[in-house]
Amino acid sequence: MKLGIIKEVFKNVFTKPMTVLFPFEKIEIPERNRGEHSFDIDTCISCGACARICPNLAIEMIDAPQELKKKYPKTYPQIDIGKCCFCALCQDVCPKGSIKLTTNVFLATFDKDDTVRSPMSWNK
Amino acid sequence: MTKIKEHNVNSDFAMNFGPAHPGSGNFAIKVEMRGERVLKATADPGYLHRGFEKMMEYREPMQNAVMSDRVCVLEPLQWNLVHAEAVDYLMGYEIPDRAKHIRVILAELSRIQSHFIWYAVLSLGTGFMTGFNVAIGYRDYILDVLNLITGGRVYPAGYICPGGVRKDFPEKAENKILELLPKIDYMRKFMLKENPAWLARFKDVGILTKREAIKFGATGPVLRGSGVASDVRRDDPYEIYDELEFEIPVMDEGDAYARFNVGMQEIEESMKIITQAIDRIPKGEVKTPNLKPTVKFQQAKGEIYIRNELSRGEGAFYMVATGQKTPYRVKIRGPSFTHMIPIVEHLLTDVDYADVPAIYWSLYQCPADVDR
Amino acid sequence: MSRKDKQNKNKSIEEKLIKDLSLKLDTTVHYQKERRLWISINPDQIVETCSKAYELGFEHLSTISVTDWLDEGKHEVTYHLWSYSHNHLLTIKTKIDRKKPIISSISSIWGGNAETCERECHELFGVKFEGNPNLTPLFLEDWEGPPPFLKDFNWREFVKKDMYDQNNPREKVYFEVKK
Repeated sequence: MKLGIIKEVFKNVFTKPMTVLFPFEKIEIPERNRGEHSFDIDTCISCGACARICPNLAIEMIDAPQELKKKYPKTYPQIDIGKCCFCALCQDVCPKGSIKLTTNVFLATFDKDDTVRSPMSWNK
Repeated sequence: MTKIKEHNVNSDFAMNFGPAHPGSGNFAIKVEMRGERVLKATADPGYLHRGFEKMMEYREPMQNAVMSDRVCVLEPLQWNLVHAEAVDYLMGYEIPDRAKHIRVILAELSRIQSHFIWYAVLSLGTGFMTGFNVAIGYRDYILDVLNLITGGRVYPAGYICPGGVRKDFPEKAENKILELLPKIDYMRKFMLKENPAWLARFKDVGILTKREAIKFGATGPVLRGSGVASDVRRDDPYEIYDELEFEIPVMDEGDAYARFNVGMQEIEESMKIITQAIDRIPKGEVKTPNLKPTVKFQQAKGEIYIRNELSRGEGAFYMVATGQKTPYRVKIRGPSFTHMIPIVEHLLTDVDYADVPAIYWSLYQCPADVDR
Repeated sequence: MSRKDKQNKNKSIEEKLIKDLSLKLDTTVHYQKERRLWISINPDQIVETCSKAYELGFEHLSTISVTDWLDEGKHEVTYHLWSYSHNHLLTIKTKIDRKKPIISSISSIWGGNAETCERECHELFGVKFEGNPNLTPLFLEDWEGPPPFLKDFNWREFVKKDMYDQNNPREKVYFEVKK
C-alpha cells in the first residue's frame, strides 16, 4: 500500500501537468466548434429560414443601410449573439451556406450593445 | 386538501442545505436538527424550474432537440436521445444503422463522463479535493472528443436529432475514441481503489432496502445498488442495445457505498459497449432521407412514452401530437425526481449531519432534471 | 436462438399477458407497440385498478401526467406503470371534467412517490387529488396566477404585465410576436 503511493509520486513528478499555460499555449479548437458566426452577404438570398428556425429569436431580418441599398436591396439577418445559444440550426438550414459558425470563442465584451452583429459588419 | 406540515416539536432549529451552496448543487433541503442530529428533512425543489414541458409546446421538434440538452447539464447527449426517439416514433422515421451506432457510442461516452462527475462531487462533498480535481481533469479528455464530434464541449445542441444525427463522425473520430479508453480505464481504477477514509464515510450509510427502492420508484444505480437487477437497456431495449453484450452490475447492500460502486462498475460495461459498437459500425447515411432540415410534425398523430436508461436512472418522454407544428403535450420524467424528493426525505430521517452530503450525493442527483 | 425466433416467442408471451390483464382488470387492453400496453378507465375506478395492477406485478410507478384537452373540456390523467417481472409498460388513462378536476389519490399504494407526482400535477394543472395528505406547492414559490400549464393560460400576457421592459429594444421580439 505505502509503496504504491511512493511509486505513484515518482511517476507523477516527471510527467507533464494536465493543464496548459493558456495565453502562450493553446488547445486546438476543432473545426466543427460552434463559436461566433460568420456571414457572407453576397451569397445570401434572404430567404429568412435562419430567422424562422432560431429557437431564441436571435436573428432578425433587417434592411441594408441607405447608402448600400442599391447593392443589397433585400433583407438580411442581423444576429444578436447575446441571445444566441450556439445551436448551429441556422447553419444547417441555410440553403446557400452563407451562415457558418466559426472557431472563435472569445466573445466577452464590456458593452451590451456590442453583441449585436449587423449583416454588414462581417464584410470588412 | 392543502395544509402546511407541522413542525417537528423536538427540533432545536431548522436550516437550509442548499440551494446556493457548493456542496448541494442548485437544490435545497430543509433539515430540522436537534444538536448534530437530523430529525427530518424536507426537499424544496424549484430553484432551477424553467418549465421545459410548457416551452416545448411552443417550439418545433428541431428546436426542442436543442432544448432537450438543457434538461440535465451533466448528461445532455442522453436526453437528446430520449427526445429524438419520441419524435422518431411519432413521425415513423427509419433510422439508418450508422446513425444508431453513433447514437449509442455518444450516449455511453456521456454516461462515463457523468459518472466521473459523480465521483467528483462525492469527493467534494466529503472533503477529498484530490478526487474532485483528478476526476474533472479526466472528464475533460472526454469533453474534448465530444467537442470534436458534436461541436460543443458540454452542450451538443441537438446533435442527436430526430431522424438520425446531425453530422457524420469527422475523420479519425473512431481512433480518438479508442485512444480515450485507456485514460478512462486508468481513472476507473483510481476511483475503485479501496480507501479507508472513503469506506468510513460511505459504508452502512443511507440504507435503502429492496422493497423501499421499488415502492419509492428508484431507478438506475440507486435501484441496482439495492439489489434489483433492472436496466432499461436490457428490459426495454432501444437502438442497438439488444445486439450488444454487456453485464448489469448489481449489489445487495443498498447503502451509499453500494450505489457508488454499481456506478463505477457501469463504466467498465460502457467501455465494452463502446468498443463493440465501434467494431460493428457500418458505413452509410446518418440521417433518414425524409428529413428536410426541419421535421414536418404536422404529419404526426398519437402519443408515445419512451423510456431510456440514463446515467442516473430511467428518463422518459411522454409526447402527444395532434397534427400541429408543435407537440401538444410533453411530459419529461427525470430520474432524479423520485430520488431527490421522496427518497432523500426518507433517508435523511434520524441521521448525523455529517452524513448528509454522503447520502445526498450517493443518490446521484441532478437538480436540473428534478425541476425541469 | 435467432432473432426471429426470439421475437415470435416474445409475441406469444405478449398475447398471453394481454389476455390475462384484460380478464383481471376487467377492461380491454390495447396494444400500442412492443412492450407498450394501455387501458382506458373511469375516474372512479382508479384506485381499484391501480392496486390490481400493482398486485399483477406492475410495481414501478414511472410517472403521472396530465394532458389538458381544451376542446373537449377534459383533463386526461395518465399513469405510467412498469413491471419488472413482465417487462411491459401499462398506461392507465382516465378523463376527468375540466371544470371540476377531482380524482382520488393513489398515494395509498405508492406512498411518497405517488404523493410527489400528484403534487406536481396539482401545482401545474390544478388537478385535486383527494386523499393526498400533502399538496403544498412544489416548484413555484409565491405563485399567484392560475395553474401555469393549462392550455388557456396565456403566459405571454401574464409576463408582459410586470416583466416587459419597453425601453429595451432587445426584448421587443419576445413580447410583440405576430403568431
